[in-house]
Amino acid sequence: MNKIHLIIAIFIALLAGSCETGSNVVVVYTTVDQIFSEPILKEFEKETGIKVKAVYDTEETKSTGVLNRLIAEKDNPQCDLFWSGDPMRSIILKNKGITQPYRSAMAKDIDPAFKDPQYHWTGFSARARVLIYNKNLMKETGIPLSIFDLTKEKYKGKVAIANPLFGTTTFHIAALFSALGDVKAKQLLTDLKNNDVIIATSNGDVKKRVVSGEVSCGLTDTDDAFEAMKENDKTGFVFLDQGGIGSLIMPNTLSLIKNSGHPENAKKLMDYLLRGETEAKLAKSCAQMPLHKGVQVPANIPSLDNIIPMKIDYDKTSKKLDDIQDYLKEWAEN
Amino acid sequence: MGRKLIRHPLYVLTMTAFVFFVVTPLIYTLAKTFFVEDSFINNVRLLDKELFFLLAKSIILASVIALFSTITGTGLALLLYKTNIRFRSFFKIALLLPLFIPPYILAVAWKDAFFVFFNDTSLISSYFGVILVLTTVFTPLSMLITGSALSNIDSQLEDACLLISDYRSLIFKIILPLIRPAIITSFVLVFLFSISEFSVPAFLGVNVFTTEIFTQFSAFYNHSLAMLQSTLLILICILLLFSEKRYIADAPFLSMGSKGAGNSCYDMKKGKILGLLFLPGWFSLSVLVPFTTLFVQSFADGTTRFIQAFELLVPAFVTSIGLAFAGAVLIVLTGFSAAYYQSHSRQGKVINFLLLIMFAIPSTVYGISLIQFYNHPVFRFIYSSYAILLIGYTGKFSFIAAKLTGNAIKQIPNSFDEAAQIAGISSSMRKRKILIPLIMQSLFAAFVISFIFSLGELGTSIMLYPPGTEMMPVKVFTIMANAPQSLVSAMTMIVLSITLLIITAFYFMMKPFTKKYRYALHKT
Repeated sequence: MNKIHLIIAIFIALLAGSCETGSNVVVVYTTVDQIFSEPILKEFEKETGIKVKAVYDTEETKSTGVLNRLIAEKDNPQCDLFWSGDPMRSIILKNKGITQPYRSAMAKDIDPAFKDPQYHWTGFSARARVLIYNKNLMKETGIPLSIFDLTKEKYKGKVAIANPLFGTTTFHIAALFSALGDVKAKQLLTDLKNNDVIIATSNGDVKKRVVSGEVSCGLTDTDDAFEAMKENDKTGFVFLDQGGIGSLIMPNTLSLIKNSGHPENAKKLMDYLLRGETEAKLAKSCAQMPLHKGVQVPANIPSLDNIIPMKIDYDKTSKKLDDIQDYLKEWAEN
Repeated sequence: MGRKLIRHPLYVLTMTAFVFFVVTPLIYTLAKTFFVEDSFINNVRLLDKELFFLLAKSIILASVIALFSTITGTGLALLLYKTNIRFRSFFKIALLLPLFIPPYILAVAWKDAFFVFFNDTSLISSYFGVILVLTTVFTPLSMLITGSALSNIDSQLEDACLLISDYRSLIFKIILPLIRPAIITSFVLVFLFSISEFSVPAFLGVNVFTTEIFTQFSAFYNHSLAMLQSTLLILICILLLFSEKRYIADAPFLSMGSKGAGNSCYDMKKGKILGLLFLPGWFSLSVLVPFTTLFVQSFADGTTRFIQAFELLVPAFVTSIGLAFAGAVLIVLTGFSAAYYQSHSRQGKVINFLLLIMFAIPSTVYGISLIQFYNHPVFRFIYSSYAILLIGYTGKFSFIAAKLTGNAIKQIPNSFDEAAQIAGISSSMRKRKILIPLIMQSLFAAFVISFIFSLGELGTSIMLYPPGTEMMPVKVFTIMANAPQSLVSAMTMIVLSITLLIITAFYFMMKPFTKKYRYALHKT
C-alpha cells in the first residue's frame, strides 16, 4: 500500500508543482537560444521581483514549438511577450492578429527601420547574415566578397547554405528577392544550385561543416560565426556585398501578445529588454550588434555604422516570402 | 452492455478516461480544422501525385528499416536468450544502449564518425544513412520483444523436438513459429516508429512524408493541410494493423504460456564462431562507433564541459524523471487495460485502433490538438500543469505497452483462468494471483520502455511544457543550437548515465516482486 501512496504522492506533486498562479508573473516565449536569453530573463526577475515563466525554442528546431504554439493558443493566449530572434516571425504573428501595438519609450532612439510602423514589434540587438569560411581551405580560392561570387566555378561544391524554407535563411532569400527583383534572385539561386551548393539542415549545421572542413564556406548569422571562431581559430567571416546590395541586418524583435494575462508586466519586461544594457549583454554573450547609440561593446563586435545594410522593408520582405515559398520548396527539394 | 460494464469496471473506466483525455482532443481538432474552418475541400486538392509518391517512398523506407531491425534483433535475441554464448549478460544490457538516447543525437554522432573515417558525409546523408541510423536505434527494441517471447517458450516442446531432430529443426520448426507473434509485433512497431520518425531524416537531409508534414507546419503554417497529410499516415498504420491481426490470429500461442516449465539454453556448436563474430560486430557498429564519437567529443575541452552540462541539466532532473515515472505508470495501466479488454471483449479492437492512431500521429499534430482542446479556461488546471504532458505521453506510448502486455496475455492458456473459475476464485483474485504474476516480466519491460521513451520525448513536449518549467530533452535541444558540440555531447552522456542508473534501480526494485511471484510460475 505504501508504494501506491508514493505513486499517488508523485502524481499530486507533479500536478501541483507546475500549477503555480499569481499576478506578479510574466510569460515569455522566445526563439532566442536559451543559453543567451535565460541569463537576461533571470536578471529581470532578480531586479524587479516579477517571476518570469519562459518557454524556449531554438532555430535548430526551426522554432516550431513556440510559433505553432502561439498560433494554436490564439483564442486563449497564455503568453504575454514574444521575443523573437528575427522580425519575420513577429510579422507572421502580426498578420495573424496575435500581437498588439506597444510603443516603448525605451526604443525612442532606435532607427524606425527596425520598428513596425504600427508598433506591433520593436527591434533591438541585431545580427547580420555573413559568410563564414575555413581559412585553411580558402587559401587557394580566395575569399568571396559577394554572394554572386559563390556561383563561380572555383567554389563548386564548396559552399553550404541552410534550408531556405526555415529560419533566418528564409528571411535572407526573401530579402534578396526584395533587393534584386524576382528575375535576378531566381537566376542567382539557379546558379547556386548549378554550382552544387550544399543545403544544410540549419545555420548551426553550416557552421559545423565549415569548422570541420567539410565545406570551404557557408552563409550563416553573425552569432554562429562568432561561435565558430571561438571553437576554432581557423574560421573567419566576412560581410558580403559591401560594395553592392549590402548585408542583411536582422534585429531581435519584441511583440506584446493580444489579450494576454499580464500585459503590464509584459510592458515592463519589454522596456527592460529594450534598454542599452541588454544590448551590451547580448553583444558580449553572442556578438549581437546594438541598435542604440553609444552602447559599450567588446572590441571585436562590429558596429552597424561600419556595415552597408541591405535596404529592405521588413513588411514587404515578409509579403515577398509568401509569394516565393512554393518556389523555394521546389528549389530546396529538387 | 450493462453486464460488461459491471464485469470490467476498471478497464471501462481507464478506457473511457483514455478516450476522453487523449482521443477527444484529436477528434475535436480534426473536426474543427476540416469542417468548421471549411478547409477540407481546399486542402484535398493539394494532395497531389508527388505527395503520394513521397508517401510510397516513406513506406518502403520504413519497411526496410523494420525488416532489418527485426531480422537482426531476432538473431541477437536467439544468441542471447537461447544459447550459452560467452558474455551474454553483458551484451544483453550493452546492446540496449542506442534505445536510451534520442535518435537525433545518434544521427549527429554517426555523421561525425563518417566525417572522421571517410572525410565525407555524402554517403550518410542519404537513404542509406537513415536506414543505418534507425536500424541501429530500433534493433534493441526488436531484440527486447523477441527475447521476451523466447524466454517464455516451454522447454518441454524444445526437448521433445531435440529427441527426434536437430537444432536447425528446433529453430525453424519450433522456436520461430512459436515467437511469430513477437516477430510480427516487432516489425509493426519498428515500422510505425520509422514512418513517423522525423528528426533523423530531417537531419540527414532526406525528404520523407513526415518532413513534408513538418514543412507545412513550420514553413507554410498550413495546419489544416498538415493535419490532412497526417490522416494519410494514420490510414497506412491502420491498414498495417489489419494485416497484422490476420497473421496473429493464426499464430500458435498456447504452447507459450507454461512459464513454469523453464527456459532452455543450448550450447553453440558449429555456429559458435559465427555467433562470436556477430555479437561483437553488431556491438561495435551500433554502440562503439556512435558512443565513442560522443564520448570523445564530450571530452574535447577537458572536464569543464561536463561540469557546465551538469549545471545546465540539474534544474530539469527531478521534473523529467518524475514525469517519466508517472507517465510510465499511466502508460502501463492504459496499455494493460487495453490489452486485457481486447482479449476479453469485442470492443477491445476499437480501443486498439485508437491506441494505434495516437501512436502513429506526428508529434506536432498531436501537440497542436492538445493545445486547441485544453487551452480553454475550463481545462486550465490541465493545460497549465504537467498533466498536459502526462496526457501527451499516455497518448504517444500506450500502444507499445498494450502490444507488449497483450502478447504476454495471449501466451497464457485459457485453462489457467478456467480452472481457477471452476474453483470459485473471484475475478479480481484471478487477476492478482494468476494473470499479473504471469505477465509481470512483460509489465516491467513495458514500464521500462515507457519510462525511457517518456524521458526522451521531445516532439510533443516542446509544444506543451508549461512556461517556467524545464525538461531534459527540451533543454538539450534548445541548448544545442549555439553551444559547442562538446557541451551537447556531454549533456547527452549525462542523460544516458542517468537513464542507465534509474533503469538499474528499477531492476533491483523489481527483484522482490519477481521472487514474490515465483510461486505462481512453479504452481502453474
